[in-house]
Formats: sequence, C-alpha cells, structure tokens
Amino acid sequence: MATAVEAPKARKSPRSAQKTSLWGWLLALPTAWMVAFFVSSMAIIVLLSFGRTTNDGYPVFATSTANYRAIWNQVYLELFLRSLLYALATVVISALIAYPVAYVIALHGGRYKNALIAAIVVPFFASYLIRMYAWKALLSDDGLVNSALRGMGLTDGVTFLNTRWAVVGGLVYGFVVFMILPVYASLERLDVSLIEAGKDLYHSPVRTFFSVTLPATRAGLYGGVLLVFLPALGDFVSAQLLGGASTYMMGNLVQQQFAEGQNWPLGSALTVGMMAALTVLMVIYLRATATRTREL
Amino acid sequence: MARGKLERKPLIPVVVTVIFFAWLYLPILAVALFSFNDKKSLSSFSGFSLRWYDALIHDSALIDSLAASLRIATIATLGSLVLGTMLALGLERVRSRRGRVIGAVTLLPLVTPEIVTGVAALLLFTGIGLKLSTTTVILAEITFSIAYVTVIVRGRLAGIALEVEEAARDLGCTPFQAVRLVILPTLLPALIGAGLLVFALVFDDFVLAFFTTGVDPQPLPVRVYSSIRFGVSPAINAIGTLMLLASGLLIVAALVIPRVLARGSSSLDLITGGDVR
Repeated sequence: MATAVEAPKARKSPRSAQKTSLWGWLLALPTAWMVAFFVSSMAIIVLLSFGRTTNDGYPVFATSTANYRAIWNQVYLELFLRSLLYALATVVISALIAYPVAYVIALHGGRYKNALIAAIVVPFFASYLIRMYAWKALLSDDGLVNSALRGMGLTDGVTFLNTRWAVVGGLVYGFVVFMILPVYASLERLDVSLIEAGKDLYHSPVRTFFSVTLPATRAGLYGGVLLVFLPALGDFVSAQLLGGASTYMMGNLVQQQFAEGQNWPLGSALTVGMMAALTVLMVIYLRATATRTREL
Repeated sequence: MARGKLERKPLIPVVVTVIFFAWLYLPILAVALFSFNDKKSLSSFSGFSLRWYDALIHDSALIDSLAASLRIATIATLGSLVLGTMLALGLERVRSRRGRVIGAVTLLPLVTPEIVTGVAALLLFTGIGLKLSTTTVILAEITFSIAYVTVIVRGRLAGIALEVEEAARDLGCTPFQAVRLVILPTLLPALIGAGLLVFALVFDDFVLAFFTTGVDPQPLPVRVYSSIRFGVSPAINAIGTLMLLASGLLIVAALVIPRVLARGSSSLDLITGGDVR
C-alpha cells in the first residue's frame, strides 16, 4: 500500500511529474484510515449478523443463520415494505415540489437566483433534528395549527401526529433539497429556446413539459431520486418524533435492536438485509437509468 | 446557462414556489417566536420574555454538552480537512486502477444510510475495546466527513491545470514544495468552504453521535433529542433557535467566503492568462 518516499530524482520529463511517489504517499494515510474505520466496521457488521447473544446478553461471533431466519417473517417484511413505500412517496412528492420551484428560480429568478437557492440550502443544512422538532411543535394536539383550527371554530382538534402523513411529510421536509439542487442544476443548463420551440410546437405547457423539459433534465431527476431515496429509507428520526409504533420504519427497528432491545446480532442482520435490498434496488435503478440516458 | 428570457411567468409553478418557501420557513420561525414566550404555551403568545434563554445558561449539563459538541466539531473538522485534502490530491494525480478503487471506497459513506455507518462504528469501537466517549464520536465523524472534503477539494483541484504544477517543478520546486507553495494556496477558498460546511454538519449531526457517544457528556444534538422525545417545551425552542442560528450562519459563511476569496486570488490567473478554469 504505502510506497516509501524516494528522494526526488533530478530531472524528469514533465508528464511524469504527476507520477512522483508523493502522490501515492499522500493516498496512503487516508486509505489506511478508511480501511481501519469504515471498511472494517462494515466487515464486522456482516460477521456479527451470523453471531448470537450469550445467556447474559453479550453479542458473540458465530456461524449461525438464525438471525436471518428470524428477520424473514411477516412482521419484519411488512415493516420493510412500509419503509419502501414511505421512501418512494417521499421521492415522488419531492419531485412534484422540486420541478416547479427549480423551474421558477432557474428561468425566472433573474439576478436573485443565487440568493433564492441559498435561502433554500441554508435551513436545509441547519439542524435536521430541530427542523423535525419544529413540525412536532406545530402539529401537536395543543400546537399552533390545532389552536388556529379551534380558534376558527372548524374542529375540536385534529390528530396530525402519529399518522403516516406526518412521517412522510417530515421526510419530505428533511430531504427535498436533495431533489431541488440537481433538478435546478440541469434546468440551469437548459437552453430556453428549446422550451419556446416546444410551446410553439405543442401549444400546451403540460405537453411542452413532458416532451421537452422533462427529457432534457432527466439526469438531474435521476440523481435527485437517489439522493432523496437513500436517506429517506434509512431514516428513523421522522418516524420516532412525528409518528409512532404503527408508522415505524426499518431505521427504527435497527435503532431499537442497538439502543433499546440490545440484540446486536439481530440488529446486524437487519442492517445487512437492508443494505442488500438497497444494493439490489440501486443496481436495477442504475442499469435502467443508464440505458434511458444513453437513448437520449 | 439559460439564455434569453421567457415572457410570461407560469402561474402554477410560481404559486407552488411561494407556498414552498412559506412551508420551509414557517415551522422554523414558529420555533424562534415561541422561544421568547413568557408562558409555557407553544400556541398562544402572551408576552416577550428571555426566561427560557436564562434557564439555558444555568443548565450546567447543557453547557457541558455544548462544550463537547464544539470540541467534537473542531477536531473532526481539522482531521477530515487534512485527510480529505491528502486524499483529493492523491486521487487527482494517481490515475491508476488502484486510485479509482480507493476513490470509490472513500465515496461509500456518502451513499450509505447514516444509521448503517453509525451502527457499524458502534460495533467496531466496542469490538476493539474502545470505551464510548467524545473520542469515539470524533473518530466516527472524521470518517464520515472525509468524503465531503474530498469532493469539494477535487472540484477545485480539477480547475488547476497540471501545467502550473509542472512549471513549479521546472522552476526547481520539489514535489512537496509544489504542493505547499502553488497548490495549497489555490485550494484555500475550497478548504475554508469545506471546513465551515463540515463543522456545521458535525456540530448538528445526531445519528452518528447517537450511536457512538458515551454517557457523559453527551453531544448537544443527542441531549436535545432525548428531551424532544419527552415532549415539546419552550426551553427546547430556545436551544433549537440558537442551534439553527449558529449553523445557519456557518452555512452562509461556507457559501459566501470561498466566492469572495476566489475572486481575490487572481495571482494564478495572471500567470496563466486567466485560463486556469
């Protein structure tokens, strides 16, 4: 891995300047770090997923498939399916929000473009936790929304929290920026005259969108789908703060095994199962989008 | 770049955009507003008061958490800046198969759900017998942040022509001097931007910290999380307002400072006739 630092040779051709051992040496330390703290941690979680707990609750390595047989049951599969649906709903809603917002800013933002994008980015990168809390405070039974509804004499209060809408809403609020940014980037590169031509050709903004704008910004949309789907599927904060046991996702299950249930081998198997499913989905998705993009 | 201008503003997208911005900011502004309420209510504002902020200052456990989070964010930022920059420099110039494999592995934390990274780090630290503490949080945060630094620095590095570095070598620089005297100064805006971003992300990070922290002192987001689980209260609004404000300012700085600096550092443009990028 690490090649020793050699004394710089007197004179080299300019091209080989890039091949000095300095560069290889620079790679060595960060690579060693990533192997020590990331690659090895992934290896441990795979190993422990075949492990078991001792009678007094300690996790030990073993060669049993019991954990995988344990997670292959209806309860866990339903929970996995629910996480998948929530994450997909989050992706779809995010795209529905991202296109109009990115379109307005990219094509009509004028000299305020950068300021508007910054106004979206800044709150999104500031504390995810506090933003989830903000929704909890707003939607709680004696929160602002309910007291406003009561004040208008509309209802005696609506239960927003502990519903799937609250959880998906929280996920969208958490991750929609990852859809807006790539879609915005590809809209920015789009030649407006294409859209104008589309309008002349189709006489309908909707048809223009589907035949011109959407195909031309495919790459941004494909990127955004991944960037929203991945964190949404693994999230446990939204379901824990805005939802309840009936809206729990994969992340909550994993979190329970490690922080509360203390069955680490089972938690490891759940994590590996989640990553395996995710990898399969990613490969299918990447192959499908790669061929679509090539057709362009 | 979009050329020309579209004549009419489309009505529906504009309406959606306005609603979006309201939806984005209202919950946050509500948190800030009720942190100044003089009663415990989070729905009716009865008068202005700083009592919840006053309570924060006198909460010594919370102050300990704040100090721990500042320490974690500072060390993790410095560590990931060093490692991430080394990685970016190495990957940019080592164009071998080995370099591509390393490049792919270091990007993995970006596409791995954070809960997986957190749980795996917990298993690793426990497995090698490291006691969970702020140190283990720092190690995990560095590992997670290296990829951010590498991506940002490589973006800037791609704009520096190889010839500039070769010119430095021809003028008698050793490879190390070429990096120190020519490349690092050009990278400075990117490094400052990356540093501010990573500091804000680590300071606010909950998931990794949750799985890798010891009992005392807990990082600030972990402590705030356990009080949120009990319910909502104006005291949480107060600390939440401060956290949003602090990381908001950091992100603004991360966006603005590199642009200002990059505009100023035109010495390189002079050498190459402004054709560097």
